[in-house]
Amino acid sequence: MEKMPSPLWTNSTSLERMTGTWRNALPYYKNLPSPCHGACPVDGEIAQWLLQVNKEDHFGAWITLVDNNPFPSIAGRICHHPCETSCNRTNLDETVGICSLERFVGDKALADGWAFAKPQEERPEKIAIIGGGPAGLSAAYQLRRRGFQVDLFEARPALGGLLRYGIPAYRLDKSILDQEIARIIDLGITTHLNAEVLDAKALKKLRENYDAVYLATGASKPKALPGLDYCADYVLDSAEFLAATNAGEKCELGEHLVVIGGGSAAMDVARTARRLGHRVSVLSLEPDELLPAQRAEVDEAKEEGIGFICSSMLKSVVAGDDGITLRCTKIDFKPGETRGAFSMSEVDGGTFDLTAHAIIPAIGQDADIDRWTGMLNAQGPVVATDAKWQTETDGIFAGGDLASMDRFVTQAIGMGKHAAVAIAGYVCPDQVVSQPDKGAEVPYKAINTAYHPKEQRNAQAHLMVDVRLQSFKEVQLPLPEAEAIKEAGRCFTCGTCTLCDNCFLYCPDVAIKKVDGGYTVDADYCKGCGLCVAECPTGSIAMQEES
Amino acid sequence: MNKMPNSLQLLSGNHAVSWAARLCKPDVAPLYPITPQTPILEKITEFHAAGAMKTELLTPESEHSAMSACISASLTGARVFTATSSQGLLLMHELLHYAVGARTAIVMFNVNRTPASPWGFWPDQLDSLAQRDTGWIQLYSETPQESLDTVIQSFVLSEKLNLPCMINHDAFYVSHSVEPVDVPDQGLVDGFLPPFAPEHMLDTNVGSSFGAPIDQATWNRSRKEMAAANDLVCDEITKIGREWGALTGRSYEPLEKYRCDDAEVVVVTMGSMCGTAREAIDDLRNQGIQAGLLKVRLFRPLPKQALQDALRGIPCAIVLDRNYSPGTGGILHQELKSVMYGQENAPKIHGLLAGVGGLNVSAENIRDWVKKYQKAKVEPESQWVE
Amino acid sequence: MEAIKYEENGQFHSGHVACAGCVEALALRVVLNTVGQDAVAVVPPSCTAVICGGYPFSSVKIPVFHTTLESGAASASGVKRALVAKGKPDTTVLCLAGDGGTYDIGLQALSSAAERNEDILYVCFDNEGYMNTGGQKSSSTPLNAVTGSTPAGKLTRKKNMVEILAAHRIPYIATASPSDLNDLTDKVKKAKNIRGMKVLIILIPCLPGWGVADDRAVACAREAVNAGVFPLFEVEDGTKYTLNVKEKVQPVNSYLAMQKRYRQLSEEKISAIQADVDEDWQRLMDKTNGR
Repeated sequence: MEKMPSPLWTNSTSLERMTGTWRNALPYYKNLPSPCHGACPVDGEIAQWLLQVNKEDHFGAWITLVDNNPFPSIAGRICHHPCETSCNRTNLDETVGICSLERFVGDKALADGWAFAKPQEERPEKIAIIGGGPAGLSAAYQLRRRGFQVDLFEARPALGGLLRYGIPAYRLDKSILDQEIARIIDLGITTHLNAEVLDAKALKKLRENYDAVYLATGASKPKALPGLDYCADYVLDSAEFLAATNAGEKCELGEHLVVIGGGSAAMDVARTARRLGHRVSVLSLEPDELLPAQRAEVDEAKEEGIGFICSSMLKSVVAGDDGITLRCTKIDFKPGETRGAFSMSEVDGGTFDLTAHAIIPAIGQDADIDRWTGMLNAQGPVVATDAKWQTETDGIFAGGDLASMDRFVTQAIGMGKHAAVAIAGYVCPDQVVSQPDKGAEVPYKAINTAYHPKEQRNAQAHLMVDVRLQSFKEVQLPLPEAEAIKEAGRCFTCGTCTLCDNCFLYCPDVAIKKVDGGYTVDADYCKGCGLCVAECPTGSIAMQEES
Repeated sequence: MNKMPNSLQLLSGNHAVSWAARLCKPDVAPLYPITPQTPILEKITEFHAAGAMKTELLTPESEHSAMSACISASLTGARVFTATSSQGLLLMHELLHYAVGARTAIVMFNVNRTPASPWGFWPDQLDSLAQRDTGWIQLYSETPQESLDTVIQSFVLSEKLNLPCMINHDAFYVSHSVEPVDVPDQGLVDGFLPPFAPEHMLDTNVGSSFGAPIDQATWNRSRKEMAAANDLVCDEITKIGREWGALTGRSYEPLEKYRCDDAEVVVVTMGSMCGTAREAIDDLRNQGIQAGLLKVRLFRPLPKQALQDALRGIPCAIVLDRNYSPGTGGILHQELKSVMYGQENAPKIHGLLAGVGGLNVSAENIRDWVKKYQKAKVEPESQWVE
Repeated sequence: MEAIKYEENGQFHSGHVACAGCVEALALRVVLNTVGQDAVAVVPPSCTAVICGGYPFSSVKIPVFHTTLESGAASASGVKRALVAKGKPDTTVLCLAGDGGTYDIGLQALSSAAERNEDILYVCFDNEGYMNTGGQKSSSTPLNAVTGSTPAGKLTRKKNMVEILAAHRIPYIATASPSDLNDLTDKVKKAKNIRGMKVLIILIPCLPGWGVADDRAVACAREAVNAGVFPLFEVEDGTKYTLNVKEKVQPVNSYLAMQKRYRQLSEEKISAIQADVDEDWQRLMDKTNGR
């Protein structure tokens, strides 16, 4: 007898059932900018390189970094880090220590001697860059990488501009500066030192010999404090003071100095003076909490024994036999709508006197635009440029402090990069690239914080105060590798897929497939529940309605 | 007792069943005790404890779990044996359906006992007859020897057709009465009963699943396939019974006829009452009444053709039912009437509710009833007799 | 971020008919992939039965036997014994049941299998009610939860199945959650390598049954763990308690708020739930500390 075949045992898999028809929305992978990226003046792919650090791919992180900024070691020390201010993680605990990590990567590159790749092709177009500060060097780097012939003109005997002559060594060790500049020049940039372009005529001539010119001569003219006699022997401008002290020269100013201003330059002056043995007071219009310098700079200055006399204005100076008397008044300071704007009123009966030996005004610098009369026009306090950083003279581009009031080193580096892209497109139309729209940033609520347990930020170690005051050694200490990797792990990696496999492993329908370098959604089976989106730790997946 | 004897042993019906189970070497034996089945369980556990039976003995908390384990073990490709009675069988009811739907090859022994309430422990076949629509093969045994022989044959039958089989004998009259029983040699049984090798089973190398929800058409198809398998049972059990006879000298048929050839009246019954009836038939023959006995051994599937052939031309049949189905009467009575309906030369069929609740039925009783009902007008309803 | 580490081995297929976003399917996927191919599953009626099957298709690679609702543990015992008899004692036998088939109708068979210390891995997908029949209460339904059979909210608390099982002194009992897949994976691995009865109770927030958004089941389970409503712990040999998530970090409010079955709870009722949770947590702490 034949056995009866049983019809009741399964003979196939559920793969024959296309549950994708149930769906009305399909997840898709998107790389959205992180808030730090949006805030970054050089468009540094921060989430990307932090992820690389966390995965211990430090070289990869450096490659990602230097695509946008050839100065990670410098930026890692002195950047005003709007990235950290905008970091989504501040909503959970504290920002990721992005700067300290940038320094970690930058220093590792210097220690290990990582060099930039030579240009893949040599191009005939010649570009002149005037000004060897952060904007000029950044532009030179970006243009040279693209194969252009770059001549760099610097008025002073050494490259670096503000980095060399404005930033004190306790914030930026000069050997770091030298190494990061040398690495750029080694790409094959022709430098012309002590080569000041004096006037519009010289500029015009230069323009005739080059396919394009980039002008980044900075802001070299000190702003004048009304009523202060700059010729008096008890007054020394901050830029001069910093240039001299950075060069190791001595300034005979007496024991007690009053620094006027509340910005980074004022802090640099005050702290430099403190290291040179002076008693230092900072006199600022702004109240303490509104001082424009970075908070860390203010805090460190206080640690170093610098006195702060805030919400105060100098009214006049009386010179005596042994020093000077500053007649001041308390003011009511009200910040304005835009950065730098404010209004104030004197407080009744707020007059007070301050005795000192010298005054160093540090209230900022203006761009020297008059020099270019006939070639370039002013737009307020800066040189007029269009959206692509081109001045009103064809082929002449400008950037840095000369063309912007965003007076931060990394802003200048970013401007140099953006101008380089524009110049490349100008001289070589086949290299025109549209500036990508940064797009909407990943909001905090898109991050599933269950995957990011609270963890304190690495409090980057600082030099002890007594050691600081005896030298110009860097105050901030480097992060050891293990700590750097851990700190990078605090990054939410907003909007950048980390290949964590959460979407792949959480899908109840096994409808996420792994493909080269990422994932894809199998539309045959995806039911559109959105669990992958909800459980994505980085906000890199979203749902798209389907008709 | 570890040494397997090949001679006669004095065994109760229940111990004969335990011996049969031992000879068939079930892989798994889930068992739950209940009076009057308990001696079957205890003898098996004794065999097991002594190492004479290698089965996986499973002693769960209920007959329900015992049957659950039987089903899944059978579907895993194991030979499975269990035993129960009355309440235990009724508790299994849901799973009896399941076992057939799953086309398992479970062999179960049931000791027929009155179902509660009220509580009683007496021979009555209602417990198993109430399971007649579940699809289990049902065989009724008259003696300890027959119980032993039928268990062995049932394994061959069940495993061949993928239909579970329930063998029944009456409480006490068979379960606890002792007679010399020929316990066959293990080698003989091994040769008679091939290894269990179902075509479909829970196999990690195949990954095919059983019991997933299905559509109406598939459920319908499953019943047609079940029907097709049922159609094979009668011929198959006949063949197996004769093969067993060739080996042991004890041959079995689905229906057994005793002095029926020229009978004017035939008693039809099942189980232990057949022995008593045989004695009554002999008495009646001695008194010149041409009486015979038709013993129904296979109740499910009902051997319709064999019943029709056996009864055709006989003027009178008297069915003795040791069961009572309220609203219907004696179950075998009803079954027989439906089998003979529309048949030419069908006998007139009396149904007697005899010994319901375990009342003793003597040969004298049967003799009297035959005399009375052979001449009586046929009533459609079963008649209570004492 | 800790990476999720269970291995996807193709043991569970797309195309099953679980609701979109169902984490019972997810938990099943993790369990099956972790257990591997040398396994047989027994499934009583439940959402898992629906997810696995739908003749003639199977969404799982291992063979599955669909048994009756009250028979899970008994059927699994039968499979295991058959495998042992057939010389395959190492094949894992799973019983994949719901809470109805575990806490209610299947408890008798489960208790017996536990008492016999059968070598099976019993997984209860605990969605706190008869969700496959449209959402009625089971003895696993917690206090004040609204179901189809408790429209005014359940008046009594959830049965403590772990304690019942612990009283059987079986080798291993653990709770797990789809919000903690590594913990789940570890527990499945551990259980797989223990001979005897193992029970894993996995909390399954039911999207329609609890009134949770399609993409929120994992989040809901996470809230349950964080609020201590469903603590993650293990009990070895009925006596050794180990907490896996050591802290109860939040009150029950946000957990309750994301579920429609707790909608319009009075402050008083919320407090009653909180009091129960706190009390149970303390009892668990005491046991963990050997008191």
